[in-house]
Amino acid sequence: MIEYDSEEQRMILKFVYYGPALSGKTTNLLRLHDLLAKEGRGDLMVLDTKDDRTIFFDLLPFFLVAPSGLKIKVKVYTVPGQVQHDATRKAVLQRADGVAYIADSRRSEAKNNAESFGNLERNLSIVGIDIDKLPLVIQYNKRDLPGILPEEEIRKAWGPTGFPVILSSALEGWGVVETFRTLAERAYDALDRRHDFAGTHGLTRESFAGRLVRRTG
Amino acid sequence: MPTDSEGRRRIVYCVGEERSLRDVLPESEAAALLAAASRAGLRGVRVVDPGGMALWGSGDPGPPPGEGDPRRLILLEGEPAGSVVLSAGASRGETQDALLALLADTLTAIAHTNLKRMLTTETHTEVVNRSYEELLETNRSLSASEQRYRELAGTLEVKVRERTEELTRAMAQLVQQEKMASVGQLAAGVAHEINNPLAFVTSNLRTLKKYTERFLDIIARYQRVFEHGGVAQQDRDDLRKHRESLRLDAISADAGDLLRQTLEGTERVRKIVADLKGFSHIDEEGEAPADLNREIDRTLSVMTHEIPAGAAIVREFSPLPVIPCRPGAFNQLFLGLLRNAFQARQEGLRVTIRTGVSGDRIRIAIADNGPGVPADLRTRIFEPFFTTRDVGKGKGLGLTVAYDIVTAHGGTIIVEDTPGGGATFVLQLPIRRGDHDKIR
Repeated sequence: MIEYDSEEQRMILKFVYYGPALSGKTTNLLRLHDLLAKEGRGDLMVLDTKDDRTIFFDLLPFFLVAPSGLKIKVKVYTVPGQVQHDATRKAVLQRADGVAYIADSRRSEAKNNAESFGNLERNLSIVGIDIDKLPLVIQYNKRDLPGILPEEEIRKAWGPTGFPVILSSALEGWGVVETFRTLAERAYDALDRRHDFAGTHGLTRESFAGRLVRRTG
Repeated sequence: MPTDSEGRRRIVYCVGEERSLRDVLPESEAAALLAAASRAGLRGVRVVDPGGMALWGSGDPGPPPGEGDPRRLILLEGEPAGSVVLSAGASRGETQDALLALLADTLTAIAHTNLKRMLTTETHTEVVNRSYEELLETNRSLSASEQRYRELAGTLEVKVRERTEELTRAMAQLVQQEKMASVGQLAAGVAHEINNPLAFVTSNLRTLKKYTERFLDIIARYQRVFEHGGVAQQDRDDLRKHRESLRLDAISADAGDLLRQTLEGTERVRKIVADLKGFSHIDEEGEAPADLNREIDRTLSVMTHEIPAGAAIVREFSPLPVIPCRPGAFNQLFLGLLRNAFQARQEGLRVTIRTGVSGDRIRIAIADNGPGVPADLRTRIFEPFFTTRDVGKGKGLGLTVAYDIVTAHGGTIIVEDTPGGGATFVLQLPIRRGDHDKIR
């Protein structure tokens, strides 16, 4: 689904943070914006919100140039989690090159998580993306809160899927960069197979992920 | 329209299309800023694209921007999308450097804001359009499905009507059969009743025929003697002997009894036939004025053979106004109810028939001292095909027929407990009926 212009030597990648309402998708992007160096990324664009709830999406863009001169822009989007914004979710999900699924760790949210993941599967199918080929990372957020599912239960549930599962507290700022990095690495693997990043463009997995995840200070 | 593996429509739109600086920075906004910068002392400033091509300038004369000229980047989504350049020869200094940086940051900020606005608009438009298309699609499929259901409903109605008519016909036929069976049972009893007198009338007539032959014989002998003119002792002895051999004295005495009995027999048959005729109202078409007390008596009289031995039939009749009705139908109704009562128990049966007027209605109660009807079955016993008898012993239509006759007359029929045990069927019939209640 990648946008690639070989003449202009430009490639646009799209990562999408998906998940149920209030699971912390925007907080993830805010934290990335705070934790990552200004160099090589743009400002976080928060499209209009209502009562602090995302209506359209948030966008955090990254920009890097491969040794070959290939300019790569990575646009990280969030989708609105509320059920009624499904049309927007579909629009944002279109042509995604990687998805981070942000779940709410609280036991009380298990049903919402399941419904949202079902919605992701359905919308991926609608926009024509094969979930088995899509770089997908699962983040269990809000680990700082009480009443959360224990880690082993989460690992037991997701283990058979093969998707990497990362625990986080976006509020406290941990697990967020790891999620992004894991997503970047998995996306790199998929892109490398198709576009020979390492060979043709001299861009290794390490340098791709490293350029995106440059911590401040 | 593209669809996914499960046949769902795939959408083919996407937000966040790539944009150049020119897309997000209109000349009107850029030129105004450049002019302002020029007035502030930043003369000869230009905006160039990443390829170095000049996009807009402050309008001051000067050479095209060169490689080494001081410049600041304008960023779009973190990517250098152009620069502000101070052309060679322009006056330079700290103020100009600061203004150049301010100009670049301002243009970056305007580009960011414009891009955000455009994304918002784009998303909004896309979502609205898509939602609208989806609604149209939903509407189309709902309309199609509604059409299907409408057609289905249309044929369903016809089918239901056909079936209902079929059932109504079958039901009417069964009710008719029930009536016929009821009358048939009566006919069998009446036949039996007629057979008795008929048997002895026939026997008497045979005997009388023999007697008559003997009378004729003796008369012929007398005639012959008289025609020969002689009443000689010999003739008289012969005639006496012959009369004795014919036992004329005995049969003469018997003949009178036989004739009287025979006439009694035929009278009984005549009465039975008359009762039957009265019961059936066979000569009457439609409604006729009737005294229901009399009709009940008529019904009882044709049912005498059905009354169990030793049963007490108590008539507690009060005078009733004559009402127009179909007496034949009512007698059928009484027949059914009385027959039920007669079957209520084997021995010690007591059936009380009480009639009277209550307000503007005639009230007829037929009470037995049988087992009664349990409370939970009291409404059900009038339903078609409801029966407590064994399979094959009753169709469960007897009381349905009764119910139909009463309701057709605008009346009601219920079953109650008889004080002391048993069932009481209570009919209430309007004395006067509106035209619309006229029996069909």
